[in-house]
Amino acid sequence: MGGVCSRKRDQQQVNEETLNRRVSGRYISKCLGSSLNVSSLDASQGKQCIPSLIDLCIHKIQKDIDKYASFTMLPRDMIQLIFNDLVCSLCLTNSLFEAFRECSLQDLNLSDYPGVNDRWMDVVVSQGSSLLSVDLSGTDVTDAGLFHLKDCVNLQALNFSYCYHISDKGLQNLKGLSNLTTLSFKRSGLITSQGLSLVSGLSNLANLDLERCSKIHGALVHIKGLSKLESLNLNCCTCINDADMKPLSGLINLKSFQIAFTKVTDKGLALLKDLKKLALVNMEGCSVTAACLETLAAFDALSYLNLSRCNLTDDGCNKISRLQSLKVLNLCFNKISSAILVHLKGLTNLENLNLDSCRINDEGMTHLSGLSRLKSLVLSDTYVGSSGLRHLSGLHNLESLNLSFTIVSDGGLRKLSGLLSLKSLNLDARQITDAGLAALTSLTELRHLDLFGARITDSGTGFLQCFTNLQSLEICGGGLTDVGVENIKGLVSLTLLNLSQNNHLTDKSLEFISGLVQLVSLNMSNSRVTGTGLLHLKTLKNLRSLTLESSKVTAGDIKKLHVTYLPHLVSFRPE
Amino acid sequence: MKKEGMVKLISAEGFEFVIDKKAAMVSQTIRNMFTSPGGFSEAEHGEVTFPEISTIILEKICQYFYWSLQYASGRETEFHIEPELTLELMMAANFLHT
Repeated sequence: MGGVCSRKRDQQQVNEETLNRRVSGRYISKCLGSSLNVSSLDASQGKQCIPSLIDLCIHKIQKDIDKYASFTMLPRDMIQLIFNDLVCSLCLTNSLFEAFRECSLQDLNLSDYPGVNDRWMDVVVSQGSSLLSVDLSGTDVTDAGLFHLKDCVNLQALNFSYCYHISDKGLQNLKGLSNLTTLSFKRSGLITSQGLSLVSGLSNLANLDLERCSKIHGALVHIKGLSKLESLNLNCCTCINDADMKPLSGLINLKSFQIAFTKVTDKGLALLKDLKKLALVNMEGCSVTAACLETLAAFDALSYLNLSRCNLTDDGCNKISRLQSLKVLNLCFNKISSAILVHLKGLTNLENLNLDSCRINDEGMTHLSGLSRLKSLVLSDTYVGSSGLRHLSGLHNLESLNLSFTIVSDGGLRKLSGLLSLKSLNLDARQITDAGLAALTSLTELRHLDLFGARITDSGTGFLQCFTNLQSLEICGGGLTDVGVENIKGLVSLTLLNLSQNNHLTDKSLEFISGLVQLVSLNMSNSRVTGTGLLHLKTLKNLRSLTLESSKVTAGDIKKLHVTYLPHLVSFRPE
Repeated sequence: MKKEGMVKLISAEGFEFVIDKKAAMVSQTIRNMFTSPGGFSEAEHGEVTFPEISTIILEKICQYFYWSLQYASGRETEFHIEPELTLELMMAANFLHT
């Protein structure tokens, strides 16, 4: 693996498969979003969080968990805390779960938890009429496991996303659960028209997720009567076309509607003209034209619109200016040019704008300068450059800016120095160097900094020391040595660190990293780290994901680290 | 006798723990009792009775209060909890909002 390679992230298509791992990437993302350990450093206030006595007790219970046969004597909210803690720390097993039998728990979130299968359902169901929500996403539960769910008569929310073994047969058991408001079969794939007919009696259903259910063409007639439906997800149901929109035309309470990558066209959307409460519409990857904007303009409450990958051209896109209530607009991967920017000028409610991979350049960027409510702007893979950036310098609410694969240079970054609210900045572009970083030291609120392919060297990392709130950092341009890593050893809020493809890094870097005890994810592939240096990482008790491909570390080395020091490590390569 | 800056916490069995007011205020519940303008009798006499908290648990809680103050001042040590006390301690901690 010779030279530096860069890659596009961020613009993931909605139909991208999640890697089928023993523990999914979703679990890691969950961990990155939460604080796990007992004593955490609240870096943004420079304060320490003193562990509460409740937390200390929960931690103690977790360590002695096999001593407890049952928790029924505790108040429900305490049991819930213990349960949540065991799940988060990956300590819960089927036999330990027995202690939660008949505890009157209300919410059981077992999503993506490794090993959950039908044998766990007994304890789940034992919560009886107390049970309000169950999340079994990504588990191996089958139709048989759902059999006794009918006894949990107060169930409001059921999540079977990514449950590849649930079919129509399992749905039989849900027929009587009339209190259900939320039901998800996202990516479960096996549901057909017969299954949907069973759902038709759930009159309180407000949220239904049927993403990627490929066998439901013609079956939407069964949900015609779900008058309380507020949110419907039909993304990637490639079988769905304009004819399927007819039975939906009376669902007047619908607020959120997603039909990405279906065969619905302008005509199908027009059938939904009476759904006046629509606030979110996702038509990514649909064969629509600017004509659909005519229908959309009539939805006064429309605040979120995704028309990415629709092959739109500039033709007719002036109609976008009528969508005054828009807060979020995604137009990425369309054949639109800077000509569109003038039509966005009046969308003053915009908070999120995504123009990734559109044929935008500096021309017209001035039309964005008045979008003062803008919080997030994505300009990646466009021809926007330093000149265009100066029009952004007045956007004082901007928190997230993506300039990866643009032609912005170091000089242009100076225009961003006044955007003190910036929390997330993506500068993954080969022409960005240390000098560009120097201009950004005022942005002390930064939490996420992506310098993946930028040519950052050791001296550049010196400028990073001011970003004391930094949680995620990626520098993969190959220009770092151990000296540079020393400069970041004080960034103790870091939870994600990617220094891959810096092939000069040695075990010395691992020594510097050992102090970053909040780290959840570490990638140092393509470096010279060895099994000996790996021992430095034993302090990283929060580490869940470790990637050291193409280094001198063997799978055996990592296994040893996992078993001896980091029992909570969930994903590691090489393995 | 009421020493300045000290308060008295009384267990179910009647054992009295005299501790610094600052330590007791680590508990949000106790803090509310002493600072609320409603005129809790506790505030006047500087003592609180906990009929539902046993002596051994109350003792552990007082230990936690001091440990917490120590932790806040930078001395981070481990707080040891005897396994047989854990559940009861947790319930008392929940009640005391601490």
